[in-house]
Amino acid sequence: MIRRLVVCLAIALTVFAQAPAGRGRGRGPTTPAGPTPRLPDGTPDFTGVWQGGGSNSGDISKGLKPGEEVVMLPWAEKLMKSRKSQDDPQANCLPFGVPRGAPYPWRIVRAPADGAATHMFILYEGNIHSYRQIFMTGKHPDDPDPTWYGHSVGHWEKDTLVVDTVGFNDKFWFDYLGHPHTEKLHTVERYTRTDLGNMTIEVTIDDPGAYAKPFTTTGKARLQPGEELLEYICQENNIDLVHVNAPAQLP
Amino acid sequence: MRLGIILISAGLLTTALPALAHHSFAAEYDTSKKVELKGVVTKFEWLNPHAHFYMDVKGADGRVANWNLELASPNMLVRNGWKRTSLKEGDVVVAVASQAKDGTNTASLTTVTLANGTVLTFMAAPEEPAK
Repeated sequence: MIRRLVVCLAIALTVFAQAPAGRGRGRGPTTPAGPTPRLPDGTPDFTGVWQGGGSNSGDISKGLKPGEEVVMLPWAEKLMKSRKSQDDPQANCLPFGVPRGAPYPWRIVRAPADGAATHMFILYEGNIHSYRQIFMTGKHPDDPDPTWYGHSVGHWEKDTLVVDTVGFNDKFWFDYLGHPHTEKLHTVERYTRTDLGNMTIEVTIDDPGAYAKPFTTTGKARLQPGEELLEYICQENNIDLVHVNAPAQLP
Repeated sequence: MRLGIILISAGLLTTALPALAHHSFAAEYDTSKKVELKGVVTKFEWLNPHAHFYMDVKGADGRVANWNLELASPNMLVRNGWKRTSLKEGDVVVAVASQAKDGTNTASLTTVTLANGTVLTFMAAPEEPAK
């Protein structure tokens, strides 16, 4: 009987783990099969609405490369332990920053759509209803103003879009636990559309101001055929935080 | 025993769903304590970042208290079968929910059952309305 119970629990957990984030009761579209689509110039075509792909939004130390660990400097660990859930910027309708995962779909737009791209834009349904811009030509400014999404430059390495970002502010949290960072944060994201329906996003996080050594998270995004982004204006009626009066913790 | 297993499995799923919201539900609600509320919907707010509905519930002492029930965001609700008309003022409903840890009449919805038997959850609604 115990064995039956364990099997049933395993099935329930597996079903939920495989359901696209942000969907209930398995109502999301089926992930299509097929080869990676390509543009006339041979680069992978990232067109489409995607779900998932960020770091573990609850605890960034989950899902690291084998053998890696998150080692916080003492001040950072002390700060994290002092944080309250209601102060989480994303709970206050501020951006996730990079690379925290969101339960909302997103889209990559290449500009111009044909020919050599000068920009890639990531459009987020949430949280918040915003965008990132990736400059496909040029380089980082010498002294960028610290911002929520930083300054991103991209290039292709074979079939992988590599996005290098600096110039972050220190305001966003890496996860619900409140892992902090500093303006020294430097991220390198590697987007690889492994086939028609799947994208792997590997992110190396290097912040010598808060962590003893870099670490790398890997997220999986899935194509959402037929899906479109919907409006999500978080600031509209954010009335619940008065009840979220507890230490920062998992969702 | 078979029923027991089904209940445990369903419990895992329903308590996991609120984790998809934009703030920590574990910090706000005690999901181990469910309240059952019988009453009348007084308002349905189809707003971000969470939809809410409010309902009047008569207690054992005869006093009526107004409860605030929290749902997912409208974009998520729409993708999972809810409509902005799924609830309306005057609906007689039974809600099962996790009450806020601060003890106020605030709760995260697990299920709400309408008078016609339709069951809606924090984020999902049936494909076809119950008949």
